[in-house]
Amino acid sequence: MVSAQLKEMSEDECELEMTPMIDVTFLLLIFFMCTLKFKTLEGKLAAYLPKDVGVNQMQAEPIEKVEIRLDVVKEGTKLRPDGTAYKGEGRYVYDTDRVVRYSVGPRKTTSLDEVAKSLEELHQKDPESPATIDARPGIIYSDVVKVLDLALGADFTNITFVGSYE
Amino acid sequence: MNLAKHDPETEMPMNMTPMIDVVFLLIIFFMIITDMTQQDLEELVLPVAAYAVPDKPDMDEWRPVLNIPYDGRWIVRQEVKYDPEVDDAKPEEERYKQIQLWLNEASLRMKKEHFTTPSHDDDAPTCSCGQTPYPHPQGSGVLIPGEALLIRADESTSFRHIQKVMEFCGIKGIEIWKVQLAVSEPEPDDKPKP
Repeated sequence: MVSAQLKEMSEDECELEMTPMIDVTFLLLIFFMCTLKFKTLEGKLAAYLPKDVGVNQMQAEPIEKVEIRLDVVKEGTKLRPDGTAYKGEGRYVYDTDRVVRYSVGPRKTTSLDEVAKSLEELHQKDPESPATIDARPGIIYSDVVKVLDLALGADFTNITFVGSYE
Repeated sequence: MNLAKHDPETEMPMNMTPMIDVVFLLIIFFMIITDMTQQDLEELVLPVAAYAVPDKPDMDEWRPVLNIPYDGRWIVRQEVKYDPEVDDAKPEEERYKQIQLWLNEASLRMKKEHFTTPSHDDDAPTCSCGQTPYPHPQGSGVLIPGEALLIRADESTSFRHIQKVMEFCGIKGIEIWKVQLAVSEPEPDDKPKP
């Protein structure tokens, strides 16, 4: 029976069937559309650095700056991205028990909403004032981005990064 | 080819061969294309920011992108330029050699712009913070890199890595002053900012 089938197969004419190929084409079209969309979800925040190189600064800097400082009060428990306990391997995220102290000018707070309010007030008082972000050891990228985001939201136009590196 | 007869009683043997060929061809095509477009971008989770400018890079243009995942490695186009586990054992001068080399190359490759006098920078369409630069000690005839370095870091990456990169950007010979921090845009159903 097998040999009969094989003989049949070698003698048959091959018919080109369009249906499955069209199905596959559509599947791939949809795949393309999803992939492209995924790529454009990234955004960027400008974090321009001061251009001053060398000691010869002609500006005397009497300008009032809004200094934002970030300190870690409590590092927080490390968790795996899915919420389970972190065992030391792989990527981790911090639990909600992480506490960061934000000092915005003279005010200190651990709440981002307060930071937002303070930044709005300070910007309204002096719309020209620059802001500086000073991140202390232990601060992670996400902490800084949130603060930078709030500063941009409060319409600060001159934001620089200062502080000790490591 | 028998196109005419579509008698419902005729049995049509399903020929799998061309379909499988096409599927394989397309899988290979996708794999190659996806790999080529994703080389710049490492897989990491970016923090969300509401005031971000959407990232629409010109795919034909070169762009310096530095990825820093949660483990603190600095990766450029799939090459690890600095790995804390390996490089921290080296003496200070050697640790950051690779990254400094790359920053140097990037700086040289960037389109240059003139050092402008203190005023708002109009040729920075993506920046909502118009940096007012200080006068350059060598005068305004100096050309400095005018393109931005994109830093993509994971949510839990220690910020000191980014601070270190910024420090390197500032040194003489590199002088990259436009830095962009990659973030992800919020989902449409998130609470809008007040």
